[in-house]
Amino acid sequence: MSVAPAHRLDAITGLALAGAIAVWWLGSTRLALDHGSDASRCADEALQALLLVRVTALAIVGVRVGALRGWRPGLAAGMCLIAPSWPVVVLAWSAGTRSATNVALTEAMLLAGSVALPLIGLALHRLLRRTELAVLSGTLLGLAFAASAWAARGLWLMPSV
Amino acid sequence: MTDAIAQPRIDLEATPAWNGWTRPGRATEVDIRLSADIATRATLEVAAGRQVVRANLDLEPGRVVRLQVPIESAEGVAVSAVSPAAPPQRRDVRIAQSESPVLGLGLVTGEPAQLDGFHTVALDADNLPRNALAYSSIDALILDEPTLGALDQRQLRALLVHAAECGRIVLLNADLPVRRVLDGSGGCGGRALMHATSLPVAVEMLKSSLAANSVLSTALPGIGELASPDLVTWNRVLVVLAAYFATATLAALFFSSFPVLLLAPALATVAVFGLLGAAPPLSQLVVWSEATSGAESARYQAWQRFPGLARGGMRVPVLQQLASARACDPNQPMRFDFDAGHGQASFAEFDTRLFRQVMLCYSGSFPVARAIAVEARPDGVLQVRNSGSIGWPAGVLLADGLVHQLRALGPGEGTIIPTRSGQPFRDALMRTALARTRSDGAAALWELELGGVADIPPQSKAWLLVSIPPS
Repeated sequence: MSVAPAHRLDAITGLALAGAIAVWWLGSTRLALDHGSDASRCADEALQALLLVRVTALAIVGVRVGALRGWRPGLAAGMCLIAPSWPVVVLAWSAGTRSATNVALTEAMLLAGSVALPLIGLALHRLLRRTELAVLSGTLLGLAFAASAWAARGLWLMPSV
Repeated sequence: MTDAIAQPRIDLEATPAWNGWTRPGRATEVDIRLSADIATRATLEVAAGRQVVRANLDLEPGRVVRLQVPIESAEGVAVSAVSPAAPPQRRDVRIAQSESPVLGLGLVTGEPAQLDGFHTVALDADNLPRNALAYSSIDALILDEPTLGALDQRQLRALLVHAAECGRIVLLNADLPVRRVLDGSGGCGGRALMHATSLPVAVEMLKSSLAANSVLSTALPGIGELASPDLVTWNRVLVVLAAYFATATLAALFFSSFPVLLLAPALATVAVFGLLGAAPPLSQLVVWSEATSGAESARYQAWQRFPGLARGGMRVPVLQQLASARACDPNQPMRFDFDAGHGQASFAEFDTRLFRQVMLCYSGSFPVARAIAVEARPDGVLQVRNSGSIGWPAGVLLADGLVHQLRALGPGEGTIIPTRSGQPFRDALMRTALARTRSDGAAALWELELGGVADIPPQSKAWLLVSIPPS
């Protein structure tokens, strides 16, 4: 696949992830409003979900694309995955209880991940010298990152700074 | 050389109403006396639970500033006075919270009285509050004539409001003029206001009233039963997100350039910040009031709902024509600016966020003159007559589980309503009204115009339910 359609696919994937969580968040918020309960919990959960799905997608795509096409395409793929969620993140932060610092740090961490993960993929490619093996190893490594992110999701559930 | 600038000395006293007794979750009052030996400006702060009341005061030598601040129930109340020129003063007021219902006993003779299951608190005139809201601390009250006579104007007004709000009161040997005034303002058909000639009789009357349970069942409804939640903000967010996702999807379909794909979410994020920075939606006021046909006053409960948009503090004016402003949720941290001149809160401050709906509650009574007579005739019609001296606008009549349209009637005018013309209850408002109507009686419901209330939010609704006892 050429670089341009790959960007498009990554952007549409990022939009789909953000859209699904936005629909779930708005729906649960509407239910909370109708029942007179606190809607901030839904917003905090939406932020958590946005973080986890983007970490997972970024871990898999970033290392794999870095191994396959290099650092720049990997960075672009990562950005196309995480950026579409920003408007939803801002709205959910405004409705939730997490501090601005906490949310900004999380987004900064995602950006750092979109820079670093393709570099890991690139390093794998140079180390293994075989593209197929590098892509397979990168995908497996990305899956391991994603799994560890899920396992460590409790860290983001801690009270905000 | 030293500057010999005299430092003012501030004297601060704080005394809780009801001799320091209240019940968990109820409101009470702190009576504060503040004076200084040199003219100075001081800020008084009263912190109770999660709510803080603040007042700016000008102190003058030889003059004691006295104010009665309504507060939420809390075991400890911190009262502090801060002046730029004087060391801060602080008094901690302990308030005992009774798990049992509280019987207030205001007798100059000091006679004891006991009501099964009640905690009795002996009172003198100065222990009675000046804010009607503080009457929620007690469940029954016995007052004798000397104690009643020693009450000041504000205490009497609060007592009248409490009587209008169906507070259970027994007056011992009250003078005829006082009886007339209180009888006229007694809510719930006057069932809660009783007169006795001796303390044992007063206790017996309270026992009978409690056994009948006719008054306790009349707690006013909640806002959830009267008005649907404000969804303006939710709708705005839905539209903004839908527009964003549509635009971003089109951009992804028609452009493959990385900067363009990144530009759409970046611009949308800026637009979202703009949305959050916009003025929040206007508040909404809902007022529910009730009276008995022919009564001179109606009691009301009002809710002012402030939909939040951006995260941060919100400062809102308190509606001055509605009484006893407070946070509806006692767990909601809130700060009130207290106007010492008028003896009531003027502004409220609280933290809000997107989709949060913070509410201020008000309660009190207002004069009303609606007398309605309904007679069910054997030929299947209801004969309705305006038996009062003032006309009323069109409303609805609730009788036999059906809603009938009630046309505007002038004083002495009547109308015939066929019972078959009634409609079943469909909306929450009518169901609420029916739930508050005696099964063997009827009630009339009118939507009230709030044009006379200053600074009223545009989206306001008010109703008056007048119950009609069975003829």
